[in-house]
Amino acid sequence: MRTLFRRLGYVLRHSRRDADLREEIETHRALRQEALERAGMETQEAVHESRRALGSVTLAVEDVRDVWMLRVIDATWHDVRAAFRGLQKSPAFSFVAIATLALGIGANTGLFSIFNSLMLRPLPVRDPGTLVLLTGGSWTYPIWEEIRRYDAQLFDGAFAWAEERFDLSQGGVSELVDGAYVSGALFDVLGVSGFRGRMLTPEDDADAPDGPVAVISHRFWQKHFGGTDDVLGRQLTLQRVPFTVVGIMPPGFFGPDVGRTADVMIPFAAEPLIRRRESALGERSMWWVEVMVRLQPGQSIEQATAALRGVQPQIRYETLPKWPEEMLARYLDTPFTLVPATTGKSDLRGRFETPLRAMVVAVGLVLLVACANIASLLLARALARRRELSVRLALGASRWRIARLLLAESLMVATAGAALGLLFAKWSSALLVRQLATWRSAVFLDLTFDWRVLGFTALLACASAIIAGVAPVLGVKSIAPNDALKDVGRGIAGDRRFAVRGTLVVAQIAVSLVLLVAAGLFLRTFVSLTRVPLGFVPEDVVVVALNLQPSTVPRQERGVLTERLREAVTAVPGVRSAAVSVMTPVSGSGWNNWVGDSPSPPRDRNQMTWINAITPGWFTTMGIPLLSGRDFEPGDRTGGGAVAIVNETFAARFLLGQPPIGQTVRLGAPGGGTPYVIVGLARDAVYRSPREGMVPTIYLPLAQREQLGATLALTARAVPGQRATVERGVAAALTRVDPAIAFTFRTFDQLVDATVTQERLVALLSTFFGGLALLLAGIGLYGVVARAVEARRTEIGIRVALGAAPAGIVRLVLRRIGLLIAAGFTIGIGLGLWAAAAVQTMLFQLDARDPTTFAIAAIVLVSVGMVAAWVPARRAARLDPATVLREG
Amino acid sequence: MGLTNTPSDLLPGTLELLILKALARGPLHGYAIVEHLRVTSGDVLRIGESALYPALQRLLLNGWAKAAWGTSENNRRARYYTLTPSGRRQLTAERAEFDRMVHAIHRVLQAT
Repeated sequence: MRTLFRRLGYVLRHSRRDADLREEIETHRALRQEALERAGMETQEAVHESRRALGSVTLAVEDVRDVWMLRVIDATWHDVRAAFRGLQKSPAFSFVAIATLALGIGANTGLFSIFNSLMLRPLPVRDPGTLVLLTGGSWTYPIWEEIRRYDAQLFDGAFAWAEERFDLSQGGVSELVDGAYVSGALFDVLGVSGFRGRMLTPEDDADAPDGPVAVISHRFWQKHFGGTDDVLGRQLTLQRVPFTVVGIMPPGFFGPDVGRTADVMIPFAAEPLIRRRESALGERSMWWVEVMVRLQPGQSIEQATAALRGVQPQIRYETLPKWPEEMLARYLDTPFTLVPATTGKSDLRGRFETPLRAMVVAVGLVLLVACANIASLLLARALARRRELSVRLALGASRWRIARLLLAESLMVATAGAALGLLFAKWSSALLVRQLATWRSAVFLDLTFDWRVLGFTALLACASAIIAGVAPVLGVKSIAPNDALKDVGRGIAGDRRFAVRGTLVVAQIAVSLVLLVAAGLFLRTFVSLTRVPLGFVPEDVVVVALNLQPSTVPRQERGVLTERLREAVTAVPGVRSAAVSVMTPVSGSGWNNWVGDSPSPPRDRNQMTWINAITPGWFTTMGIPLLSGRDFEPGDRTGGGAVAIVNETFAARFLLGQPPIGQTVRLGAPGGGTPYVIVGLARDAVYRSPREGMVPTIYLPLAQREQLGATLALTARAVPGQRATVERGVAAALTRVDPAIAFTFRTFDQLVDATVTQERLVALLSTFFGGLALLLAGIGLYGVVARAVEARRTEIGIRVALGAAPAGIVRLVLRRIGLLIAAGFTIGIGLGLWAAAAVQTMLFQLDARDPTTFAIAAIVLVSVGMVAAWVPARRAARLDPATVLREG
Repeated sequence: MGLTNTPSDLLPGTLELLILKALARGPLHGYAIVEHLRVTSGDVLRIGESALYPALQRLLLNGWAKAAWGTSENNRRARYYTLTPSGRRQLTAERAEFDRMVHAIHRVLQAT
């Protein structure tokens, strides 16, 4: 090891060492000369004699260098320098090769860094390997309280948290920040200590003596407080409740959720201050809490699960919800299960795993196409250098030495490509993550390049260097030392080297076609999703997400408040009509129940219907036509007969084609179904997402709800082109009615967009990859044709001289290329058909073997291929025979 | 190439052993090492520079000797080599090994 360091030291300072040695040897010589003179020799003679005895100084220096540098290192260094000089000499080649690879490697690294931070990177906390998550959805707070009683006994600590978005504003339009309710033990169990101030502790789980406290993320401190030093002790308004900032979390820590940042964390104990009488802390059927535990040293996950199941009966019995018997049995029996949580918990993972994997495959294919291109370019260069290489062979260089020279070149290109690729990756991955964000969730991923990403890039660079380098090495195998003596200037049509490049082109075309087909399929999926008829008219509708929680109006009077808000909004200039609903279509959330008089949910999903509660005028505002019957009226309120309006799909599924008006339907209830009399039939409209299409929906009058939740949607239809003015007016009107309520404006564009994030992302990426592959294949094809024309210059010149027509020459060149395209094309179609099944689930209303898409992709590819081939072919046809023949 | 050079028929590693031995008495520069070896061997061992300097560098590389610039007896800048403790250990070890080897060769030659 020490020897290695000394070697390194030598390499770094070797020019000084060489100088030292030369001086040393000169001293040696001088001393010898003196000795000779003392022995009586003439000075002149002594100088000669001592020089002669010395031998060649250079040789000695070289020998010494051999001692220090292993011969291989020295030779490699020489190769690298030679390769660098070679690349410098042909800047165009170098530029194309490096740029291609930079795009290929960059796209791979960018995607991988997302994959890494989402799937692979451990949480930035102490010993993340021993963290485990209680899986199977969220839990109720009472369940967590029970589990907490056993945390010291069964585990090495446990904590709970619940995601929440907090409103920072004092009133009016909401200013939302991602945050979480947490149990005080979270920081201690994770081993996270504060950057400034203190973190939350188990003491914060009890009532706070000094008022409610909050800790904030380092990022939020920078963004919201401008990174000022006096932030500790400052006030932060969350949901209209003042909190005191007591600490700043360390940079890079955003809580146990991956893909989402918790910029503000407050104790669960503060939740009743915010939700007041609607606090969920005591609710036994509100599933909103996540639980994570740390294993004891040496405890396996199976042991921990077994230990937890040991106390499961107690935990379950203590927390029984008010449910029908059958459901309680299931509640008691469902076993607790722990899963590893080294990488934290993430909702994004489930949503994006499949598309991300598909894209990783796609981008890998792009890199292969890029490598094929570089291989092809390098091969062309190697063949152009045939004379030089065969001279080297003739002078005794080993074939391995020549191969190394060529590999060094591809390695240089790969390294430069990887370095540029990292820059591209940095930019592209941030861009992609921004694409993931929707109105529902700001996506945050830590995309710093860690050793995994850098290692991955290095691996890619090496792999590309080898893949790209092998072809030229195979190509030069056929070079014989005596080639240099023959005339290699005259090309012959049946050049064997051409075959290697031909294979590369076929592969490129095949892979590009597959990628183009994929791009086509995903694009069409995305487009058809955005073109699904929604069933309502989203233009000019202003959606206001209301939160009545901060209002002082008691819960029972929310109906009245809602009505006042609706009236106030209707009076705003530019508003044609306004209505309130519990659910907003395409917002992603839903409310469902089963139809019929069964006391518990049936197994058959087809017995379920979606529900919305609305005020009169909602259909008009949304632009959903009523096909028969009537809309709700102010008279449909509590005390009156329960009424409902159903949509076409509901009528078709549950009313068996009979005229719906006047019929009675029952909606599931533990007591055996609540009856509703149908008074109207509405046209179908999308409920949750365009992908689900039209689903059975039943509408109930808002005024007949006994309890109203705090979050409601107010929809207003504006006069076209006046959205901005209307929004300002609506905001003022709402604040006038109740200054405390919180609200946020949405548009249906935003809502619809959020339902197709995944498809948009995939379409975007696959189009980019498809385009890139197409471009690369085009360049590859062009290179091959240009090279072939170059090799056959003399032959073509003779043909032209003998009277061949330009069109004939073009045909001559293209015939060969046509074969290559056809071969690649056939293989590509085969590959595409074979791989189709894998992407079927990601498509919408489209067969993965859709002939139209295949045809379009094929036409695009063939046209690009023909253009790429035609340009050099055309140039060949214009060759001046006189010039060519004189050259020969 | 030069007149004399490495007695190439020396056993491998012997030159290093001889240099180590020469340095055991105190720091010497290259020429002095050659002279010392020539004189003490009764003019038999004439070491050439192209063998001497690589050998010296091997000693440096292995950490058996250190080199520093100094002034020679007749006021010339010369590079002096000093034995390190690990060089001293190496000398003892190699010497034992060399003795064993010579003994073995001797026994082979004596055999009838």
